[in-house]
Amino acid sequence: MELVKKVLNNDRASIAKAITLVESSNPKDKDESKELISSLINHPGHSIRVGFSGPPGVGKSTFIESFGTYLVNKNYKLAILAIDPSSNLTGGSILGDKTRMSEISKSQNTFIRSTPSKGSLGGVSYGTREASIILDAAGYDFIFIETVGVGQSETMAANLVDIFTLIVGPGSGDELQGIKKGITEYADIFIVNKNDGDLKLQASKTASDYKSALSFYSKQDNQAAKEVLLVSSIEQQGMDSVIDTINEIIKFNKLNKIFDARRENQLSYWIKEEIRNQIQSKLDLEVGNDTELLDMTKAVIKGEINIYDVSDHFLDKFLK
Amino acid sequence: MNKKNNKDDQLTEWKKKFEAETKTSRADNFIINTDEDIGIKPLYIEEDIKDLNFVDVGSLPGHDPYTRGPKASMYVNRPWTIRQYAGFSTAEESNNFYRKNLEAGQKGLSVAFDLPTHRGYDSDDEIVMGDVGKAGVAIDSVEDMKILFDGIPLDQMSVSMTMNGAVLPILASFIVAGEEQGVAVKDLSGTIQNDILKEFMVRNTYIYPPDPSMRIVADIIEYTSREMPKFNSISISGYHMQEAGADNVLELAYTLADGIEYVRAALSKGLDIDDFAPRLSFFFAIGTDFFMEIAKLRAARTLWYKIMKDFGAKNEKSLTLRTHCQTSGVSLTEKDPYNNIVRTSYEALSAVLGGTQSLHTNSFDEAIALPTEFSARIARNTQLILQNETGVSNTVDPLAGSYFIEKITDEVASKAWEIIQEVEELGGMTKAVNAGIPKLKIEESATKKQAKIDSGDRVVVGVNKFQNPKEPKIDVLVIDNEKVREDQIKKINLLKGSRDNKKLEKSLNELTEDAKNGNNLLYSAVKAIKNRATIGEVSKALENVFGRHYATSVGVSGVYGKYFEGNEEFMHVTKKIQDFEKLYGRRPRVLVVKMGQDGHDRGAKIVATSFADIGFDIDMGPLFQSPKDVAKDAVENDVHAIGVSTLAAGHKTLVPELMSSLKELDPENKIIVFVGGIIPEQDYDFLYEKNISAIFGPGSNIIESAEKVIDLISDKNNQ
Ligand code: B12
Ligand SMILES: Nc1nc2c(ncn2[C@@H]2O[C@H](COP(=O)(O)OP(=O)(O)OP(=O)(O)O)[C@@H](O)[C@H]2O)c(=O)[nH]1
Ligand SMILES: [Mg+2]
Repeated sequence: MELVKKVLNNDRASIAKAITLVESSNPKDKDESKELISSLINHPGHSIRVGFSGPPGVGKSTFIESFGTYLVNKNYKLAILAIDPSSNLTGGSILGDKTRMSEISKSQNTFIRSTPSKGSLGGVSYGTREASIILDAAGYDFIFIETVGVGQSETMAANLVDIFTLIVGPGSGDELQGIKKGITEYADIFIVNKNDGDLKLQASKTASDYKSALSFYSKQDNQAAKEVLLVSSIEQQGMDSVIDTINEIIKFNKLNKIFDARRENQLSYWIKEEIRNQIQSKLDLEVGNDTELLDMTKAVIKGEINIYDVSDHFLDKFLK
Repeated sequence: MNKKNNKDDQLTEWKKKFEAETKTSRADNFIINTDEDIGIKPLYIEEDIKDLNFVDVGSLPGHDPYTRGPKASMYVNRPWTIRQYAGFSTAEESNNFYRKNLEAGQKGLSVAFDLPTHRGYDSDDEIVMGDVGKAGVAIDSVEDMKILFDGIPLDQMSVSMTMNGAVLPILASFIVAGEEQGVAVKDLSGTIQNDILKEFMVRNTYIYPPDPSMRIVADIIEYTSREMPKFNSISISGYHMQEAGADNVLELAYTLADGIEYVRAALSKGLDIDDFAPRLSFFFAIGTDFFMEIAKLRAARTLWYKIMKDFGAKNEKSLTLRTHCQTSGVSLTEKDPYNNIVRTSYEALSAVLGGTQSLHTNSFDEAIALPTEFSARIARNTQLILQNETGVSNTVDPLAGSYFIEKITDEVASKAWEIIQEVEELGGMTKAVNAGIPKLKIEESATKKQAKIDSGDRVVVGVNKFQNPKEPKIDVLVIDNEKVREDQIKKINLLKGSRDNKKLEKSLNELTEDAKNGNNLLYSAVKAIKNRATIGEVSKALENVFGRHYATSVGVSGVYGKYFEGNEEFMHVTKKIQDFEKLYGRRPRVLVVKMGQDGHDRGAKIVATSFADIGFDIDMGPLFQSPKDVAKDAVENDVHAIGVSTLAAGHKTLVPELMSSLKELDPENKIIVFVGGIIPEQDYDFLYEKNISAIFGPGSNIIESAEKVIDLISDKNNQ
């Protein structure tokens, strides 16, 4: 495939087109997309994939601009996938994350792509995983994935990355709830942003709240310690601590074979998901518009037949 | 029969007649809602002006609460000042223009600077290539400032300067130019805009973040209160808010709330209120809603009196609001442009009936380019005719006592007061601005106005109704910005070759130190400028300490779509977009951008959010992008199209550069590029030759534009 070669050559326009291909919702693009990903997966790069999640407006994009600039100045090559949640009644969307990334987007060493999340809970969008394979093959040192954290989407985002980071704002007690609900399982680093000006006091308080909440969480053996970091994206403060922590966790995880184990897990998860998706779409195709289904539904209403018999009937039919 | 009964009977009879004439059942329901959400009744009567909240009907001009005017005699003694805002190209050319206008009857000067100067860049800076001298006059140093006022005695001429971002080096240059003309600082008269809060909200020529910017404002108020007794330290401006889309209540409320914030900033310097408050001045826009504009000016004076009284001001000059006004540019159209002369005349009359102290009237080519000598003459004469032929100046506040005017004055005041209280609860205007609230409110209001025009609910003659089938051709002012830039660079190099670098460096370091330690910055800026620092060098010295501010807001979506809910044309375009999505596996994706120093973002934001409502995926670029950055952004996001919104005349430089950057990044790109904003017809062919697919000028209907864009994208992808 010509596209594969170009992606491996880090050709900007081709990387962009490859991402469009894997994100396409048109079934006709599926084969080409599969072919692309199957070849690129055999040319792995060395990217570290970091997820940044958090509630709307905590400063994820601003943080990425700030931290990203810091990394680019250290000569790292950086790709950013921003999943933008803003979606409209009629379906269109305004992708505004890049207004917060005006400095970093100027660098030749960055590639920044926004994707409308199409209402998938503001979380990961269709094709994000594939996009990170493309960017890895294209040779980026880091791939940042920005997602809005709501509900389950964190789990999905965490399943795409090597390090998962939760960004919170000063005094946002709501997320502390999340701690108890198990988000700590997924998050490796907690970043308290906006540690500046009037908010400084609140920010330190939030950080210590997180620290004490984390102390209840029993660290398993063979697991890197979870860190709580204080930063100000606007003043570019605390970026050293972020990169140091990332490096330490990666080092620890590699040493303890966690790094590869996670990637393996994610791969199996992906395979399962792929199967689920395919069954789902076949099922929808075969059962969805069935007149038999309509008839049987009516029969259920009339009490002529039991609902479970109907579902078993279709399952048998489908499996045959 | 007593009088009261007689009146009641009359009213009952009037209602009957009204209902018969209008064939409606209830006169009371016959209400027309304004943009301010004030219900206008078909009739106002004595009852309406009893128990008003703020207005004291029957109070006199020159007496509190000053509703009827800051002075007792008003225009009877001296008419308002005709003060036309102008500036373009080089200092030499603008000076020439000013001198001609002064000879022709203009009274005061008002300087329009170019965008690089506003944003603190010298003309030789790469980043401002397309903008030098285009939308105002380029001033790089005190030498340019001296040329600008050559032959204009600064001890006699009052000079207004619209400058906010680079306010320190510009005011310093003005002071030094005066000195070198032989005029003492204390004898300089005029106004510096120095109103940074509205820059963050709507005007977009800020440089530093809000906090240091507010400090600069306070430094200037302090300096002028000490050294320049005849100089207005600030012009607290609502004008730009209305032009950006605010209704009259929003404009008034946020302007007065800004005023409160500036007073506090000055007080925090330890100044006494009456030391500086007499030198606070205001600036409002006068749009087409004739009576509402009059009410706004009367309400403004009434509320400011109350506000200043609460601050403990005693000097009458502190208690009275004095204002400049400008007729509305955004009410003027590119289509059938001579209509604009008529619009401007009504607006001017409205400003005068509202009691403005000075006035700018716009030229009829407003929506096309900077004024020509001809269009500027007509604009000026609009005021000369009003002053000399109509008799409007013969009596003070002629509309006072009108039930209608007094009532809506009070309603405007009451509504504005509510918003001012909301701002107070947020902790004042700096906080509100930081939170982005006023900006969003204004953008929402702007989007509604667009929807009203696009739907035809609001008539704009010559645009959505009564179109002229034969548009007239008119001459436009053309500025050769490459030539201007060359001239400016020559002057900069001359300056840099002849100055004492040691002295210069010392004074720039001093400036940086003062920025850190809190000393008043205008004193050290004056020193640096005397030592021939450029405007850009002074700005940079401060930027090193303060940093540069980047705005992040993207606008309010949903407003336009809501207005068109169920509208057929709207849904027709939405359908086309859905079909496209099925075919190509994603929605049509358009990158909307602003390039160069052009900060007019009203159009870009309205178009972006409305397009998203219609169904496009819209990438919104930040302000001040370079064509190279835009190309990278477009390619990485694999957009189908780029929509360039350009209003400040940079298009002939910036658009071709964008096209070549795109080609360079992706030689086979299929990205179509279209352009919206202020493009004189003379430039259409130039742009088409550069492969621009479509041009959308002022007044374009957004739904129609959206259809054209989706059609163009579909065609391109079909090939
Ligand atoms: C409003 C306005 C302002 C506001 C801007 C508020 C804001 N945040 O946008 C304020 C008062 C702050 C302002 C300031 C200045 N202004 Co002004 N301003 C205007 C004015 C009156 C209206 C522009 C507008 O917003 N119209 C309403 C919107 C909705 O229309 P629009 O942008 O044209 O968009 C429509 C179409 O063009 C098209 N479109 C536009 N973009 C796009 C993009 C896409 C993708 C599509 C499909 C369509 C499309 O569709 C839209 C809907 O119909 C124009 C004159 C005029 N009547 O047009 C002058 C004008 C643009 N300003 C001008 C100048 C010089 C300035 C200043 C530089 C003055 C100075 N020297 O200080 C300052 C600095 C501003 C800055 N930072 O850049 C000049 C520019 C001269 C030139 N081009 O040669 C103009 C033309 C006035 C004049 N004749 O002198 N201004
Ligand atoms: N004081 C302060 N404000 C910040 C900081 N980081 C971001 N902000 C502000 O927080 C607001 C939101 O920032 P974004 O970066 O857009 O937040 P986000 O989390 O990406 O938002 P969404 O993408 O909309 O979910 C902006 O107004 C920023 O200026 C910080 O470090 N300090
Ligand atoms: Mg974001």
